[in-house]
Formats: sequence, structure tokens, C-alpha cells
Amino acid sequence: MRRAPIRTVAWALGAAVIAVAGAVLMARADLARQREAFETDARIAHRLLSQRVVQHEAILATLVLLQPGPGDAADRLPSVYPQVLRVLQRERDAAWPDAALAAADARSRQQRRAVLVGDPAGREFAAGRYTVLQAADPMSYALVVDLKALVPRTEWPLPDDGPVRCWLDLDGRAQVLQPGRDGAGGWRFDFAKHLAAESQPFELRASRHVGWAELPWAAMAAWVLAVGGVVAALAAWQGQRSERRRAEELLRLGQIGRLNALGELAAGMAHELNQPLTALLANTRAAQRLLDEDPPDIATARGAMGQAADQARRAAEVVGRLRRTVERPDRGAAAVPVPLLDAARNVLFLLEPECRRRGVEVAWQLPAVPPTVRADPVALEQVVHNLVMNALQAMEQVPVGERRLTLVLGAEGGFGVLRVRDHGPGFGDAVMLRLFEPFFTTREGGLGLGLSLCETLAVGMGGSLTAGRAEPRGAEFRLDLPLAGGAGGAR
Amino acid sequence: MSEITSPLIHVVDDDAAVRDALALLIGTVGLRVQAWGEPQAFLDGFDREAIGAVVLDVRMPGIGGLAVLDRLQQQGADQPVIVLTGHGTVELCRRAFKSGAAEFLEKPVDDEALLEALQGAVRAHVRSRERQRADRAARERYAQLSEREREVLGLIVAGLTNKEIGRALALSPRTVETHRANLFAKLGAPSLALLIRQYAQLVDDEAAAGGAA
Repeated sequence: MRRAPIRTVAWALGAAVIAVAGAVLMARADLARQREAFETDARIAHRLLSQRVVQHEAILATLVLLQPGPGDAADRLPSVYPQVLRVLQRERDAAWPDAALAAADARSRQQRRAVLVGDPAGREFAAGRYTVLQAADPMSYALVVDLKALVPRTEWPLPDDGPVRCWLDLDGRAQVLQPGRDGAGGWRFDFAKHLAAESQPFELRASRHVGWAELPWAAMAAWVLAVGGVVAALAAWQGQRSERRRAEELLRLGQIGRLNALGELAAGMAHELNQPLTALLANTRAAQRLLDEDPPDIATARGAMGQAADQARRAAEVVGRLRRTVERPDRGAAAVPVPLLDAARNVLFLLEPECRRRGVEVAWQLPAVPPTVRADPVALEQVVHNLVMNALQAMEQVPVGERRLTLVLGAEGGFGVLRVRDHGPGFGDAVMLRLFEPFFTTREGGLGLGLSLCETLAVGMGGSLTAGRAEPRGAEFRLDLPLAGGAGGAR
Repeated sequence: MSEITSPLIHVVDDDAAVRDALALLIGTVGLRVQAWGEPQAFLDGFDREAIGAVVLDVRMPGIGGLAVLDRLQQQGADQPVIVLTGHGTVELCRRAFKSGAAEFLEKPVDDEALLEALQGAVRAHVRSRERQRADRAARERYAQLSEREREVLGLIVAGLTNKEIGRALALSPRTVETHRANLFAKLGAPSLALLIRQYAQLVDDEAAAGGAA
């Protein structure tokens, strides 16, 4: 009992370690999955945006090539490309009205590609616009692009109100495409990549904050509960196993204890009886001698005989006291419903090594519904244990291949019946008659108390124990016990 | 002296019924019995001089029978002890005999066996007392011998003739003859055979003591 709390604590600690480790692994796996999803989404967004900006280069290249006039195709562009707010153009031999556009024109000529129109104050960018310009002759063109409309909503991988924050960065200035959600604590994933167009050197930035609340708490809780359940079941199983081992040990100790107690009892009884018997014998022999004298000393002899009678009574008292000491309390009082099969299986489980050592094959014959009987579980197991041990010992005399033990369960007339059948040599008639007599044994070194005790216990529980012959040979012991809840149980 | 009265048997058993019954039984063959319920009282009070024997129960409260046996042996009590037991194991029997028990009987004891054992024990005790007394007498007589006579006695016991003794002690055969006659008279020995039987042991003991000294 003292070790039980320690064992419980050990089990609980083990369970806690497994549960926590598993939950951490689950959280980590979930975070890794979220990061991967975030990075995939960010890459898609980057590709879509890159396609758009490359498209602007293509539009400019087409305009430069076709050189359409004002009010021409150029004015229709915004209806085709919603992100294009306006198309600007430098008229033939004219100059850009704006210095920034003129500077960009010069850069475009120099670099022979489209360039972003400078926006030193960031006013245009802050307003969600930018201008990209391609210089050419005779006319140069520029597109004013709406950053908000840049995002192709139909193909956009990130939900508007999703947790991912997404913005375009230009020289440290940010234009938020999507606000996302931020928070303290937890984890943060980041993504940063320049769009694939030299003319529009924006960097797409994205970040995702995963808060504690977003961990897969339900799955983790389920896991912890599952671990707890499994460990509790294991602990219970282990407990049951050690319980059984302890029961086995107790049974063995009990048997040794009974033998010791029996020895003590016999020694005590011998002394207690020897004293009056000694006095009795000495008195009667003295009386005989006194009467044989010539003349006989009748008075003294009479006194001696009186003493002898007293001592005979004293011996009888010793025997009576002994019987009262040994008498058991009513076994029926401790009777509870016991599944007979469970009791038999427990015993066979305990004796399994013994059966294996002796090479005994165990067979069961069970009815569809095995009976439940009213019995004292300890006494019942003791009876079955003794019967099975008896059967095993009886089969020592036959070759290993023929050692068969059969246990038959059934119910007859209000009684649950267990038959223990061996394949040993069986009994002769003379032995059969004396089988349940105390101190009768056919085994060398046997006490001859086992079967006598079994019968006493069986009768004490309102049942009976009988012996018979098995076919084709061997012995069969039949234990009858009142069925629980049946007619027999009410007796 | 004590052997004039009939032998005294001590019955030591804590059980009054057993004690009295045994006393009665032993009394029927004419032996005097003294019954003791307390082992210590017995050890303190029994007559060590009287001829007799002890009937001792093994299982007693306080001092056990075997402990009483050991005390008796240590104190040099020479009364033979018959041990009674209810449960006679080989080990108990061995210990009892090792402690000097004369007999070991199981309860309930057969009267013939007990009385025979008691009579045998008494006879043995009488013989042992007689031997003791004879020894004491012989020792007293031996003490009266002169130095020369003791030398001559030693050589007689060793089986030498007068002539050989004279040669060994450088005495004339006549002188040897005189000493011989004197020591026979002093020791009161009627014959050479009895002289040797009674005194050979004594002479050997003296020689051993003298040699050692």
C-alpha cells in the first residue's frame, strides 16, 4: 500500500511527459504547415503582381511601337486594364509638362527601357498611384497605375480579411495592399521579394502573425486526453497484473502458513493432550498395582481411579476447546455473486506455469452463458485451486502426452457446476469412499487435508463437492454452488 | 549414612495432576517420592546426598527441563536423570543425552518402562556411590604409605617380580619383601589381584601427577 502513491505519481509523470511532448510536436507541425501555406500564398501573390507589372512594360512597348495619337486606343486602355488610370503622352517634338516626367524620359532614353517616374516626396505613392514611363520618338508614353487595382482580386490567393499583411515597398515607403492582422507574442512569418520587372522595382512584403490562440488546441487537448486514457488503462492493467501476482504470492504464503499453523496446532494439541493422558495412564496403572498388592490398598486405588476419571474429562475438554478454536465462521455469510468462469480462469492463470512445467494440456467446455454463483471468492478459488492441483498431481503417474485436464462448466437445478476432470489413473472403490476424510491421503508426504477442506468449504457455501470416475479413465470432481439470484441463491 | 533409608525419587513437573499420578505410581514399588512443581525450588532444595534419581519434564514454564539438566551437571549432582517429554524429537533426545540424561521417555509414559528405568537408575546410582566411597577409602590408605612403599607399589602394579624390583630400586630382595608385606597390610589388600584392581588407577594418577610436577 505504501508504494501505490509513488507508482501513481510515476504513471502520472510519464503520461504528462508523453502528452506534453506530443502536444508540442503537434503545435510545431501545425506551425510548419501554416508557414508553408503562407509562403505558397505569398509566392502566388508575387507571381500575379509580377505578371501585372510586366504587362505594363508590354503595354508601353506596344504604345511606343504603334504610336497612337491622343483619344485613340490609348484612351481606351483604362477600360481594358482597370489598374491603368491614365495614359500620358508627350506630343511629337513637345516636352513633358512636368520636370519629373522629363527626367524620367531622359533616364528611359539612356537605359533603353521603361522606368518609374521619380516621386521624391512619395506623394503619388502615398496616394496609391505610380507612373511608369517609356521614352521613344516621336512620342513617349507613360501609364499612371492604381496600386489598389493592381491586385487581381479574382486570382488573389489571400482573403481580404485574412491574417496575412501584404504591402509593396519602394525605397522604404510602404503601400499596404492588405491590412491583415498583427499581434503580440506567438510566431511571425515573413516574405520579401522584388517584383520581376526592372521598370517597377517594388518589393512585395508579406507577414503573417500566428497567435497562441491559433494553435490547434482542440487536437492537442484530444491528444492529451487520449494519452491520459491510454496510460490510465495501462496503469490499471499493470495494477491488476501486480494484484494478481500478489494474490498468487498470498495464496502460496497462505498454504505455507496453513501448514505451519497446522504444525503448531498439532504440537500444542499433543502437549495439551499428553499431560492428562500421562496422568490418566499413571493413575490407572498405579491403581492396578495397588489392587494387586496383598492386601490390596483399595482406598488409595479408589483415589487414583477418581484422579484418572478427572484427567479423562480434562482431555475431553482439550478436544472440545480445540474444536471450537478450529471451527470456521459461516462461510455463506461472505458469499457474493462470482462468475464461476472468472474464478476458474484466475486459478488456471495462477497455475499456468505449473501446467506448462508438467506438460499438461488444459481444455475448457463452456456453455453459451457461463453460470454466476453465490460464493466466497477466496474460498471458491481455494477449492478450485486444490482440485486442479490434485488433478495435476494425479497425472504425474501417466506419460506427458496423455496429461489432459478438462474443466467443464454448466448449470443444473439451481446450481452452477464446475467439473474438474483429469486423465490420471483414477481411484479404486476403497479410496473413493474415504476421499473426503481428514488425514486420508494416497500421496506420500500428503497431509490428507486438501479435499476434506474443499468439501467443508463447498458445504459451507451452500454447495457440495463430489467425486466420480471420468471416461475412459481418470477422476472427476464436481463442485456444485448455488446460482446467484436463482433458486439456489435464496437458500 | 543415607543409603540405609530407601532411595528418594524426585519428580519435577509443573502439572500437578501428572506430578501426583507419577508420584503415586512410583510409590507403588516402594520408592520414596518427593514431588516438585517449581524447577528452581527443586534445584535449590533437593537432597544431593541421598541415593535416588530425578524424573524431569522437558516442557516447563520458567527454567525448561533441559536447562535444569545442564545446571545439575554443572553442579556435579550425581543423581541419574530420566527426562520425560510430550514431543520427542531426535534433536531433543540428542541434547538430553548430551547433557547427561540417563533415560529419555515419551509421555504418556508406560509404567513398566518408567519403573524399570527408575530402578536401573537407582541401582546405577548406588553402584556409583559405592565406587566413590571405595575410591575415597583407597586414597586415604594410600596416603599412609611411605615414599619407598609407594615406589614398590608402583613397580608391583607394573607387574615386576620382587627380584626385579630389588634390582630396579637397588634393594635386597628381603627388603623388598618387607616393604611388600607392609604395604599389603596398610592397604588392607587380601590378594595381589585385588590390590592391583583397587590401586592401579590410583598409582597411575599419582605417577602422572608426580611426572607433571
